[in-house]
Amino acid sequence: MPTPPFDRDSLAQWYAKSHLDTDPGIDRVLYLPNEAPDREIRFVEINKMIGDRTDDSLEPIDFGIDTGTENEHKLLVLDVTPAQWERISSHQLPLPRDWSLDKALEFGHQQCRPTALSS
Amino acid sequence: MNGYQKLWWEQAKSDHSVFLLIRRSGIAQCHALHYLQMVTEKIAKAYFWRSGSQPPKNHSGFVQYLRFLGQTRQTDRERIANLFTFTRFADFQNWIRANLPTAYELERLAPTLANDGPNPEYPWPHHQPKDAPVNYKFSIWGELTTGQGRDFMRIIAIAIDRFPEYADL
Repeated sequence: MPTPPFDRDSLAQWYAKSHLDTDPGIDRVLYLPNEAPDREIRFVEINKMIGDRTDDSLEPIDFGIDTGTENEHKLLVLDVTPAQWERISSHQLPLPRDWSLDKALEFGHQQCRPTALSS
Repeated sequence: MNGYQKLWWEQAKSDHSVFLLIRRSGIAQCHALHYLQMVTEKIAKAYFWRSGSQPPKNHSGFVQYLRFLGQTRQTDRERIANLFTFTRFADFQNWIRANLPTAYELERLAPTLANDGPNPEYPWPHHQPKDAPVNYKFSIWGELTTGQGRDFMRIIAIAIDRFPEYADL
């Protein structure tokens, strides 16, 4: 039986739902496909259970997934506090280099489908 | 930082680089966990060498290291909190308290502390193996992939990168 072709957007939706369902700290997941390599899923996750920090250099954590298969890809997650997110959305705090909020999609607890980002 | 600390820190730093490579590569989670366990053990040993005398020759120490950091003397508290990116020392202490269970779990991955059960290096149980690390889904890996777990890995990265700044505290 052939493996379904790699579909980044569907996979992103699956990850977002899974993170929202299993991690009580996460309020919203933003999916940032713009300017990301084809096999890379970039998330900003707004997490109310992470304490505010003095360090404003935002560092995504990257995981390699399904290595050696047709679905090989990377998942990068940038966890931010609600306060940090406010600063990001008002352009006071920059995202990591080459990350962009243009065309970002938002997943929340109440949503079945992603919506265009509204900050 | 004395010479003993420097040697242990250099090894911890190199182990941490390997951990990052493995995490990014997406190979079996046992390998990433093996390196993360070694990183935490070695940074703890680097810290405890500050007295100039050798810490116990076993695989534990990371929990104790976090506890020591949480009991930093009054005069150094603000400095150590800021170094680990916390605004107040009380926030750092709260973070340590919340993350000690993960630290314990990480420590217990070392085969000698794993009670002949799941560990990232050898099939278990020893007398009649039923599982191999490479096929096993470790519960701690699930925890490390949550927001709190990713935060834990960021703090470990800081503990490594900024060790020279707190090695003597």
